[in-house]
Amino acid sequence: MGAGDRAGVMTGRVVVTGMGAVSPIGIGVEAFTGGLRSGRNGAAPVQGFDTTGFEHDIACEVRDFEEPPEAGRASAFAVAAARLAVEHAGRPELRERRGLVAIGSTMGESRDIDVLVRQELANGPGAMDPAVVRRINAGRLSASIARDLGLTDVEAVTVPTACAAGNYAIGYGYDVVRAGEADFALCGGADALCRKTFAGFYRLGAMAPDACRPFDRGRRGMLTGEGSGVLLLEGLDAARARGARILAEVLGYGLNCDAAHPVAPDSDSVARCMRLALKDAAVKPEEVDFISAHGTATKANDVAEARAVKQVFGAESPPRTVSMKSMLGHTLGAASALAAIGCVVALTEGFIPPTVNHVETDPECGLDCVPNHAVTADLRVVQNNALAFGGNNAVLILGRYEEAASS
Amino acid sequence: MTTTATTISGWSAISPFGLGGADFAAGVRAGRRPATWAVPDFDAREVLGRKGTRTMDRVTALAVATTRSLVPGLGEETALVLGTNVGSVKSSMDFARATLTEDKPFYVDAGRFPNAVLNCAAAQCGIWHTLKGPNATISGGRATGLLALNYARRLLRSGRASGAVLCGAVEEYSAERSWLENGSPLGEGCAMFRLERAGGGGVAEVLALEFTVSPDDDQAADALERCVHRAFTTSGETVEDLWLAVGSGGDGEDEVVGGLGERRLNVTDLVGDTFAASSAFGIAAVLAFGDAGAGRTALVTATDRDGVAGCVLLRLAGAGEGT
Repeated sequence: MGAGDRAGVMTGRVVVTGMGAVSPIGIGVEAFTGGLRSGRNGAAPVQGFDTTGFEHDIACEVRDFEEPPEAGRASAFAVAAARLAVEHAGRPELRERRGLVAIGSTMGESRDIDVLVRQELANGPGAMDPAVVRRINAGRLSASIARDLGLTDVEAVTVPTACAAGNYAIGYGYDVVRAGEADFALCGGADALCRKTFAGFYRLGAMAPDACRPFDRGRRGMLTGEGSGVLLLEGLDAARARGARILAEVLGYGLNCDAAHPVAPDSDSVARCMRLALKDAAVKPEEVDFISAHGTATKANDVAEARAVKQVFGAESPPRTVSMKSMLGHTLGAASALAAIGCVVALTEGFIPPTVNHVETDPECGLDCVPNHAVTADLRVVQNNALAFGGNNAVLILGRYEEAASS
Repeated sequence: MTTTATTISGWSAISPFGLGGADFAAGVRAGRRPATWAVPDFDAREVLGRKGTRTMDRVTALAVATTRSLVPGLGEETALVLGTNVGSVKSSMDFARATLTEDKPFYVDAGRFPNAVLNCAAAQCGIWHTLKGPNATISGGRATGLLALNYARRLLRSGRASGAVLCGAVEEYSAERSWLENGSPLGEGCAMFRLERAGGGGVAEVLALEFTVSPDDDQAADALERCVHRAFTTSGETVEDLWLAVGSGGDGEDEVVGGLGERRLNVTDLVGDTFAASSAFGIAAVLAFGDAGAGRTALVTATDRDGVAGCVLLRLAGAGEGT
């Protein structure tokens, strides 16, 4: 395996050297890993906003996290995750190097928008808090990481491609580092839970009242979540030169658009995206050891995604396909970034995270979702799926780091 | 970040000057002020038809309509990269408001929920025009248009976009936006570009795109200065040959670029403060001059209040009006 070659493009290998997770099941890679291994469920009654009038109020919030007064909650998550990633990487000196900061999101500083609307309704637009107004722009998710870490020689860009945004941002980091345009990339995604998002998914009938049960016959939908995942990517040569601990290799990714429906996924198009990713990574379907599914646990998503998996991998013995959303909820723009961190953890620690809350697999899905308990496994290649509103698909392929790139 | 050759082969704009690139170009060339800072006579139902526009917001309608004229002749695998700040802030606030004012907090219009999601306009461009390639949304304040151009350029170079890439940025005028931004007057619109690998034709070549982040709010000029210096260094072009410099209305831009180039424009003077679309309109303003600067270079700059500074250096081929 190894990065696919393209005419006229540098083909440096790109590796993951640090990860920061701010999640409903733990903050920091160690706690996050413990959560994945034990199948921790991040769901609980909402504390972050008033849920009066909703008939159920379960979501996956990041507890024990207080954002500083000048930052919106999503930006604060992103900055915290970036700091953790740099720490995890052994605190390399990044200020003297050229970099990319790419952070995905679905809603941006959406909770702040809710706050402003409440102020406007109560006392008119003049009553909106200027400090909150000042911090709502989506570009701030990435720029505030650069400023917090004192990085000036960086391109800071927010990639708000909704619920596939984490993979979009990681893919962008991969391309930029691989081409030698940056020495490192801090990339991932962030979102904060808010009332408007909760109401939207609730009204769509996409939300479960109690628990998220992906691929289960009795699944009733997603649970909304929040958090941030940020990965530090570096070129292999640079990472080796500084003696970095190399966690995994980014092998490639694929992007496409269904161009069909605003909210329902199209399984043929999702299958096409998986094929693009596998081709880009020069990986054969049979080499994929497990799939981290988008797996929202809505009726429509899980069937469409399972169908796409079988189209690409065959109906006989597709790879085990798990949904970390069963534990994390749907952390929106952070979802595929946190799942990518979960994939790297799986590669380094040798286990497949479980799909919790599982009772009986839906025969229409018909996948081994590693129900309820993590399994030990020797893993070399994993695939991370992300499907967004509007048919924005992004599939990332990660591999165990092996010194000699096989082909 | 030096670029390998990328060509802008076409462009389009819906602006306060009117519903086409030619209107924008005529206004810019004449040095006119538009009669209104909102896009005149822009109604999604009238411009795009009744079908599919019931729940469409203004940001999305502006983007879908601006993109439309660039699509003919392109294949289904075309990629789209759209810059926005927070999508339609009116959509987001309307949706949040409904959770507070209706009898139940979930009595919201589910059909409008995607409008509150930041990729709505890009995704709708994909759906309306059947564009199945990579579909990305980019955000970075005033520098959004430049960041989107860089994302698009990289899609071409990496081969992830197998054909052309459409890229640009959009901003709406709404009462909600006026509550949040002090810019005066607030303008709106969308500018889109068709990007292809270099080779034959085209209206401009992308020579360099450079970005930095300022460590503090008062250091925007220094951050931009580094970008501009690097753009000339990496491209091998000289400041003396610069024909036109266009600013996006951010802090420190005049300080850095004021003395550069034979001509100087500020996007905010042309179309009002179009925030997320401002640097895309800056590029469109360069292209508006058509043949006038043929063979010469032009610089578009942007600094954003959240820290991003960036610039693009273009070489004008000087052919073709915007559509």
